[in-house]
Order: sequence, then structure tokens, then C-alpha cells
Amino acid sequence: MTDSSGAAVRRAKRLVRCYPRTWRARYGEEFTQLLVDDISERPRSAGRAADVLRSGLLARLAVAGLAGDTLQPERQVRVGLAILGFSVTAFVATGIAIWSQLTIGWQWSAPAESATKAGMLVMTGALVAFAVAALLAATPLLWALCREFVRGRGRDLVPPLAALGAGAFVLVIGSIHFGHGWPGTGGHPWSGRDIVPGWVARFWWAATLWITSYWAHPVALAAFPASEVAWMVASPIAMLAVVIGVTRTIRRLPLSLRVLRYESWLGLTAAVILAGFLAGASSWVISGGPSPRGLFRVGTIDMVGVAVMGAALILAFRAAQRTLAASPIRTATP
Amino acid sequence: MIRSMPRTETAQKGHAQAEALAAFGRYAGPATLILSSLADGPKHGYALTKDIEDFAEVRIAPGTMYEALARLERQGLIEPLESSDRRRPYRLTSEGAVALRAHLDSQRRVADVGLRRLASSTGIG
Repeated sequence: MTDSSGAAVRRAKRLVRCYPRTWRARYGEEFTQLLVDDISERPRSAGRAADVLRSGLLARLAVAGLAGDTLQPERQVRVGLAILGFSVTAFVATGIAIWSQLTIGWQWSAPAESATKAGMLVMTGALVAFAVAALLAATPLLWALCREFVRGRGRDLVPPLAALGAGAFVLVIGSIHFGHGWPGTGGHPWSGRDIVPGWVARFWWAATLWITSYWAHPVALAAFPASEVAWMVASPIAMLAVVIGVTRTIRRLPLSLRVLRYESWLGLTAAVILAGFLAGASSWVISGGPSPRGLFRVGTIDMVGVAVMGAALILAFRAAQRTLAASPIRTATP
Repeated sequence: MIRSMPRTETAQKGHAQAEALAAFGRYAGPATLILSSLADGPKHGYALTKDIEDFAEVRIAPGTMYEALARLERQGLIEPLESSDRRRPYRLTSEGAVALRAHLDSQRRVADVGLRRLASSTGIG
């Protein structure tokens, strides 16, 4: 093998890594050879690299059931629900980080801009509606969980439940503890003027403290108390443990297609509710002035947050749409 | 060797398969080019690229080529052949031949109408 053909093979193999493992197992070898032939003929081609990146991304989306042909119905529904759960979690974590900052601001003084005020009311209403949808989604899952343990088949569920429990414990205890560290969340005489009680705002503020632009300013971050920085590192890990615990528990639970379909509909409902939340947040970002006292100033991190929520929502709608299209509807018997 | 079918059956299957090809959406172009290239015998990815470049003056990029090949294979319009090296050849199936025929007939009808109208209105043609 010459140096140039060796380099072509290495470049081809790097490009093939854009594709998912299952695709590589079937087409990897022959596709690598096509790339080697193409690279040998045209050593430099930005168009080829862009084409492979686009095609690899599409192949990955297809494996996740988000593009191309629909997967086998039950797999499509389960994969779709997992993506729906992931995107909704990303949305809610980001949204709560923004919302809790704003509600804490309102503890001190109501926003001067009516668009900001209306936006915050819409965001709060959407979060309450989302909590109801989450409760409705959790009910059949909790029922299935109890049934498994009663029937003595719950051993496989213990590790993910332990991860969920440990993560939730750390999040709750840590959020309560660090929530008390914020002076504007209940300790001053005007507390209770907000749209939600101060303890709710400070709990969620502490839980999402790690979603901050301070990571881009290490000097400012170094001025924080060491325990707070440690919490900012530990809390996303705890949140991840909760998400992994929930995902693995659901994956191991035997759920009927009827329940999966019910969960898909609730996922779509949640996405619609969160679209309302995004509208509220956008209303604040577009028109929200900093007054009074700079409490409602829009920062770069907030604009990034709104963009993340928008992307998560598109993903959630796509997953819900494909999941519902794949889950078979029970037909009436003649 | 492509199996021959009775004319009416061929037409019905052709219509269905042409719809399958139309379902390729923006990939219908590469799919038609690939099927046309395979119409005169099996070819591997690079041979397809060069052949299509020769007869259509279009170069299909590798990612697009394999997207189309994978879809055509899933739809049963082409099939892979055994190969002694890494270049795996593909060949047209009988369903693929019917689909290609129906699709090209449909394209020819459109082209004929367009050319006829162009000739009558502008004299070009």
C-alpha cells in the first residue's frame, strides 16, 4: 500500500464513522471502498465530505426512527418515546432554569413590561399543565411497576430504580439546601408577591443552577463558594441519573401497545403545552426590557436557552408524530 | 436474466413500482440514474458513479449513492451480488426493471408533450 492510498483509506474510514453501527455492519466495507476510489480520483472535495456528513446524519436519524422508513411498530414506538422523553427533559431543564430566574426576579419586583408579565404567566401556566400531563403519564407506569414487583418479577428493575432514587435524593436535598443560599427567595419582607411561592422558585433555581453562562467565565466562577461549584457539577450528574433510571426502568417494563400509544399521545400533548411555554419565553426575550432594576434583563444564555428549547421541541414533535404513525390502532371486530 | 411477464400484469406491476420509485421524492433522480445504469448489467458503487457521469453528465456523491442503493435494495428493486473484493456489485431485479420501464415511460410522455407544445408555440423542436 502506497502512502497516498494508505491516507485515502484512513480518510475514508474516518468518514464512514459518520454512519451508525448497524449501517456500517451492512455497507461499511463496500462504502469505504467507494470513498477510497473517489478520494483517489479527487483528493480534495468539500462537497463529498458534506454529502457524507449529511447522509450519515440521515442514517443515524433513520436508526432512531426519526427519518426514512418507519421501524417495526413496537420498536418505533419505544425508540420514539425515548427520544420524546429526552427532548422533553432537555426542554424542561432549560425552561425551568429561565423561568426560576424570572420568578425570583418577580419576588423583588413585578416586571414593568406587560409582554414580560404575560410571558411569565403563560410560562407558569404551561409548567402547571405539563406537571399534570407528567402525572398522567406516570400513573400507568407506576401501576405496571407495582404489578411487576407483586408478581415477583421486579429484580431487573432494581438497578435503574436505585439510580433514579439516588439521583432524585441528591437533587431534592441539594436543591433545598442551596435554594436557601439565595437572598431573594423568601428571606425578605416582600416575598410572596410572586406568581408562585418563593420556595418553589428557589428550589428550581437551585436544581438548575448549573445551566449558567458562568462556565464561560472561569474567573467569575472561581469567586463562587467551593460547595456551590461542587453542586453545579453534581446536580447535572444527579439529573442524568434520574433520566437514565427512568429510561431504563421504562425499557424493562412490559408495557402493552395500548399503554405505549397512550404515552405517545401524552407526549404529543406535552409538546403542545411546551410550545405554549416557548411562546411565553419568546415574548419575554423579544420584548422583555431589563426594568425594573435589571431583574428581567435578557442575556446571551437566555437566547441560547430559547434556541435549545426550540430545537428540543422540533425533535419532540417529530418523535411524537412518527411514534403515533407507527403504533397500530385497535380495530373493531366485526 | 430478467424474467418476462404478460403485458397486462407487467403494466399493473409497473404502475405500482413506478409509484414506489416516485416515493423516493428527491432521491428519485439518483434512483432512476442508478437503475438505468444497472439496466445493462451489474455494477459496483464506483463503476456506477463513472457510468452515470458518462451517460448523464451527473456525478452522484458517495453518500447520496449509498442512500439510494440502500433504499432500492430495501424495496427489492436491486440486489447485491457476491464479490471477491470490497467492491460489491448490484444488479437490477425483475421488479426493478418493471419499475424503471414504467418510470421512464411516464417521463417520456411528459417529455413528448413538452416538446410537442414547444414546437407548436415557438417553432423550436
